[in-house]
Amino acid sequence: MSNILNSSVAIRLEKVSKRYGRTVALDEVSFEVGEQQMFALLGPNGAGKTTLMHILSTLLRPDAGKAFVAGIDVMKKPLQARQRLGIVFQEPSLDDRLSVHENLDLHGLIFGVPRTLRRQRIEELLALVELTDWTDKIVRTLSSGMKRRLEIARAFIHDSEILLLDEPTVGLDAQTRDRIWHYIHRLQTERKITVMVTTHYIEEVEKCDQVCIIDNGKVLADGAPKVLKKEFGQQLLRIVPKTDEDQIKIVTRYAERLSRIDGTEIILTSDDSFSESFLAENGARIRALSIEVPSLESVFLTLTGRDIRDKEINLREQTKAFGKIGGEHTK
Amino acid sequence: MKSLETKRSMLMIQLGGIYGLWLREVRRSFRDRGQLIGGISRPILWVVILGIGLNPYFRGEVFGKVNFVVPFTYLQFIFPAVIALNILFTSVQSAVSVIWDREFGFLREVLVSPLSRGTILLGKVLGGATVAVMHGCLVLLLAKFADVNLTWMKVLEALGLMSMLAFALTSLGVVIANHIRSFQGFGIFSNAVILPLYFTSSSIFPLDPALSQAQTRVVYPEWLVTVVECNPLTYAIDALRGALIGYNQFDPYLGILIMGSSGVVLFGLALFEFRRA
Repeated sequence: MSNILNSSVAIRLEKVSKRYGRTVALDEVSFEVGEQQMFALLGPNGAGKTTLMHILSTLLRPDAGKAFVAGIDVMKKPLQARQRLGIVFQEPSLDDRLSVHENLDLHGLIFGVPRTLRRQRIEELLALVELTDWTDKIVRTLSSGMKRRLEIARAFIHDSEILLLDEPTVGLDAQTRDRIWHYIHRLQTERKITVMVTTHYIEEVEKCDQVCIIDNGKVLADGAPKVLKKEFGQQLLRIVPKTDEDQIKIVTRYAERLSRIDGTEIILTSDDSFSESFLAENGARIRALSIEVPSLESVFLTLTGRDIRDKEINLREQTKAFGKIGGEHTK
Repeated sequence: MKSLETKRSMLMIQLGGIYGLWLREVRRSFRDRGQLIGGISRPILWVVILGIGLNPYFRGEVFGKVNFVVPFTYLQFIFPAVIALNILFTSVQSAVSVIWDREFGFLREVLVSPLSRGTILLGKVLGGATVAVMHGCLVLLLAKFADVNLTWMKVLEALGLMSMLAFALTSLGVVIANHIRSFQGFGIFSNAVILPLYFTSSSIFPLDPALSQAQTRVVYPEWLVTVVECNPLTYAIDALRGALIGYNQFDPYLGILIMGSSGVVLFGLALFEFRRA
């Protein structure tokens, strides 16, 4: 089989599997990301997202399967593949004893960007991520959000066609997260690149062109957010009954539609006709009622049977978290 | 034609990468006050205190005859060894950045670049070796104080030898760092390597050149003579002595040969382990 694929596909995975000892991190994962798409890999901690990123960035070799970036087989031609990628890791990877400018310049040097072009891009990118005033500051004096912005800018010093972002906003406050996403969208639009981002924040993937839901190393669904919501999303009815007796009656009567009970709130799966008939029949029993339109959260709930934030970290996740350190599993 | 161009561009990237990583190590060293203070205080301590203190005792009674063991003062004798000591400490400690980079994520940034592992390691080792040579040069500033007359030729010759020594020792540091996962572990392990290596290299005491091989083994414990003769640093320091004060106990080319081959072997070993890590 040829190492070069159709150029309209930016990223392609074919039955990629990876194990850490007896723990299956990825189980025959396959999907495609089109050029210039904003693609999100959504899953809880330990789902296998970072392992997948490490495989695409050539840090890890899969046990089975193939991975291509910009048509290049990452296992067979890793050096070429890396030239096409811009990567922002979940953990910071800046040299905190160098200045902002020195970090960017070093990145340009190791990616073979000529001096004049390097200078020009550093200037442009620092302006883009609003760090121009911090050019000569030593990186360790920057805030977490600034470091993140610098890492994103760094990924564009060379001619990257594909940007891999591994949990780019984890650990940041809401305002900084918004700002980071603003830069990501701006860079994607201006530079016409493909962005693949991993996250466990559902609200962050709403604006993506395509979402792939992954859990326990398996792809559960893959498609545009609208399509996923339509296919797997659930309209939910959130009801607060007047009395405990009313609560019992509603739960008993609609047992087959019961999603869960959240304190005094009953959550039922619904659709437009059910909401109307429910209200007509039980209007006197309820204190408050709200209709929740299908969301990616409900898609995740439908596909996995649990909330994305509910998951406790277990031994399996701990093993994979170890893998996330990168250096230890790096081949 | 296109393939030739690709290869040329890849070669340029590798060369740029070596320069970039070298520059990084040098820049970091200037910002590392601890390393800089060590580089300055170590030679002062050894030359000014130990050198002056032991200077009058640098003679011995051997087989009933009192004489100076070598025709130099102790300060002159240890001067090249203090250069080697500064290089030894700095080289091995420069390699601690491998642990640092692994711990703080920078290694990942480099590993996803188009640089080969060999290029990455060469850039790091050359950077560490340069810093070590610079620290060795700090000792040269004390030459007048130690009564060592320097000429440009002597300095150039010494710089060549210092570079070879620094390259081999930085590679040794990387080999150690590849086996150690924490900074504390590296400190303990590197001291366990640095100090024995230094003390058994005829750095602070000479094996009396006036004695025959058999007499040497009578005067000194046999195991010590064996260790000194097996220690590659013995020949490196001897070559440096030859260059700076014109005194050699062994063939000066032996020092060059041993340093060169140690550099190649240790770099090869470091690369083998770096690729495996």
